[in-house]
Amino acid sequence: MTVSATWLIWISTSLILLLSTRNPIYILITLTSLFLLGGKISLKEEQLNWTKQNLRFLITTIILSTLVNILFAHTGQTLLFILPENWPLIGGSITLESLVYGAVNGLVIGALYLVFNILNLVLSVKQITRLIPNAFRPISIMITISLTFFPSIQRRTREIREAQMIRGNKMKGVSDWLPIIIPLIVTSLENAFMLSESLTARGFYSKSSTNISNLNLIALVFAVFAVFAGWIIRLYDYPVVISVILYGLGIISILFIFIIAGKQVNVTHYHQEVWHPRDIIFVGVSLIIAGAMIGLIRTDCLSSFIYSPYPNFSFPEISVFGFILSAVPGIPLIFISHD
Amino acid sequence: MVSFILVLCLILLLFETQSSLLDSKMIAFLGVLIAINAGLRFLENAIPGPAGFSPTFFLIILTGYFFGSRIGFLMGAMTMFVSGLITGGVGPWLPGQMITAGWLGQSSSLLKPVIQGLKWQQKSGEILILSVFSAIWGILYGIIMNLWFWPFFSAAPGQTWLQSAGLMENIGRYGAYYIATSLVWDITRSIGNILIIGFLSRPMLQIFERFEKRFSFIIVET
Repeated sequence: MTVSATWLIWISTSLILLLSTRNPIYILITLTSLFLLGGKISLKEEQLNWTKQNLRFLITTIILSTLVNILFAHTGQTLLFILPENWPLIGGSITLESLVYGAVNGLVIGALYLVFNILNLVLSVKQITRLIPNAFRPISIMITISLTFFPSIQRRTREIREAQMIRGNKMKGVSDWLPIIIPLIVTSLENAFMLSESLTARGFYSKSSTNISNLNLIALVFAVFAVFAGWIIRLYDYPVVISVILYGLGIISILFIFIIAGKQVNVTHYHQEVWHPRDIIFVGVSLIIAGAMIGLIRTDCLSSFIYSPYPNFSFPEISVFGFILSAVPGIPLIFISHD
Repeated sequence: MVSFILVLCLILLLFETQSSLLDSKMIAFLGVLIAINAGLRFLENAIPGPAGFSPTFFLIILTGYFFGSRIGFLMGAMTMFVSGLITGGVGPWLPGQMITAGWLGQSSSLLKPVIQGLKWQQKSGEILILSVFSAIWGILYGIIMNLWFWPFFSAAPGQTWLQSAGLMENIGRYGAYYIATSLVWDITRSIGNILIIGFLSRPMLQIFERFEKRFSFIIVET
């Protein structure tokens, strides 16, 4: 799985799963599969201690979230102990329900963080930049410029700092920023000046075809508005069909506008990503699972996904379907072992 | 759904603002300025300042103030994006950060007519207005950034969001939550902003003026 688009689909499926369940058992299964996947990838990328660092972060998140919830939310019926009422904000009853709720919150936040951490691990900065659609060419060029300049700016900052320290700058207060930032900005903008001249000399000057891009912009405004309207209508108990039509219309036109606007710029491609059969299989499988998951949630077939400890603590339900679905983020494990 | 619409709005804004980037001068200029700003985020550790204080804000404010709202928005949004890429901090919080920092840059262009109207250019009044503005934004940034996850967060009763409650009541509830969790942090950030704007805005604006003059070559098509 070296194609960046496959990982985009992986993260979408994982996010749909994580944002629709509150069942701690399922989230624990998801977390286990994420840790297995991340551990394997980090071994490959030679990032030691990945599992240890993330486990530490997860435990901290759970502890913090639990603490905040039990101290601030005093609802629930199973009483653990009582803090004096006259303590501001935190005084009141400490309940088992708010403890469980806080811990589940921490689990979800930790899992969300882990999903994005794995994405950052597996995709290089170059690959993420390449995911920006062609329609945003000026922005993607600008990002590439900043990413390329970043190491040289860091080096220059270090040099200027050392030079200032030799001259007796103690680097203590805010006023000591001045002799570092000003030379840094002046020299770097000098580079920008040279860069823009050489860009122009090499013929980079995209003349704006105003009419077409304005048309695209207006169409994009309408498309976003369609999605927004679909959401607002949903809030006021109108038939679901209207929202679905508006969402579909909006999203399809956004994609269409991106394709049209992208076609208006000429781009050369280096090191194209190659799609292997297993990438295509993975995309197919993920799309089917994501579709099935949305369908099952919408038709209330996955009641065990919903869990709340309030008002009276009870153990979460479990179903076979839920078990299988919560392990879905681990699917790349099967595929990456063949890379 | 709200996050999805937020992302769509961000895409829309970027699509609009990039029209100001169509020539090589602005692309090179902003690209380098963003790299500097992302670099400053690492420099935070080099020189001690108040907690929660970040030197990235002042460049965004000054760029927005000097070059106008589109460039200001791009500067803010892209600084967050690039430094997110560099630190491996791409996550669900990124669109929120990008939009908020973009607003910071965009809104600072509003100061220009005010200062021009008062005829305070290159006087200490200019720095005063910029510092006050940066102090307000130091707190506002925290308020907006907390807002994106506040409705999902379970805290004390009386501090969480209620769909049935009216606008003013919800604002009151949010205020309680905000004061309890983040006010101190944000106030130190504001103080840091005032200090850095006070020390650095005058020379920075002079540099911008000089480069605007030098960057004024015109490309003629034949």
